[in-house]
Amino acid sequence: MQTPNEIIHQPIRLKIMAALNTLAAGQWLEFVSLKSIVDTTDGNLGAHLNTLEGAQYVLIKKDFAGKKPRTRVCLSAKGREAFAGYIAALHAILALETLEPDVSGSHATNTPPDNNR
Amino acid sequence: MPPSVEEAARALREIDAIKARAAGFQDYRAESDQLLLWGAAHAIGFALSGLFPAFILLIWLLLVPGSMLIGRLLARRAASEIPGIGWRYLVLIGTIFTYMVLVHVVMWPLTPEQGSMVAPLFVSALYVMRGVQMRPRYLFIGLLLAALLMIGFLFFQPIFWWWMAVGYGGSFIVFGFWLRRL
Repeated sequence: MQTPNEIIHQPIRLKIMAALNTLAAGQWLEFVSLKSIVDTTDGNLGAHLNTLEGAQYVLIKKDFAGKKPRTRVCLSAKGREAFAGYIAALHAILALETLEPDVSGSHATNTPPDNNR
Repeated sequence: MPPSVEEAARALREIDAIKARAAGFQDYRAESDQLLLWGAAHAIGFALSGLFPAFILLIWLLLVPGSMLIGRLLARRAASEIPGIGWRYLVLIGTIFTYMVLVHVVMWPLTPEQGSMVAPLFVSALYVMRGVQMRPRYLFIGLLLAALLMIGFLFFQPIFWWWMAVGYGGSFIVFGFWLRRL
């Protein structure tokens, strides 16, 4: 059985990756917006972003919008690829389950459908 | 250890939920640009209508196409997510404009105050419909706009144009900032 990416397979990091994956390649999302979408605290989001940045899955840019400091995040090509692989692994787990014979319910397949219901 | 089937299914559901939330966020952001633009346009247009009632037609004939062009530029920023957004936008605004003209033709003669209610009430109804089908904030915006419009028309005729500038144009601007806060 395929094992999904351990870095992504964590609830907050999964949300971060899913949110960033909805953006077009090269499109940046502000930290505050990402925080609203992921629904977590500044500290928690920052810590998980550092993990993802360490894996080179996200790019983080810090600059100023006028006089206001601004942090923006973008999914890297490597991150996008890893996320696609992660989703494929999840689907593979589900597909494997449907392919396995259902021993307990096998007799039910011989039962004619009840069309009168 | 690989996750169980239930965990995998839960993770996929989580991804779908976040995608929907992110899509809503992007939709609100795009809408907020339009609300700020049209809010400013209406605030200026209604204020000028109050100051120069003899030039109402000219004021709006300049304001509406100008705002349309800027609005189209803003809308095209979402072109990667929504193919054909540029012409869809023009069709939408063109429909509102055409509706307003046709109602004037059918209902003529209308006072300037009555005529100026047609497009805003139509826009309010559109927001209610969008809100019911898509995103709840639009429902609130539509209902509040309609209420403000009717209150102004029924109870504040002496200051009608200023009411419209602040109540309608100003509300658009406030709603525009509100949509930027998820």
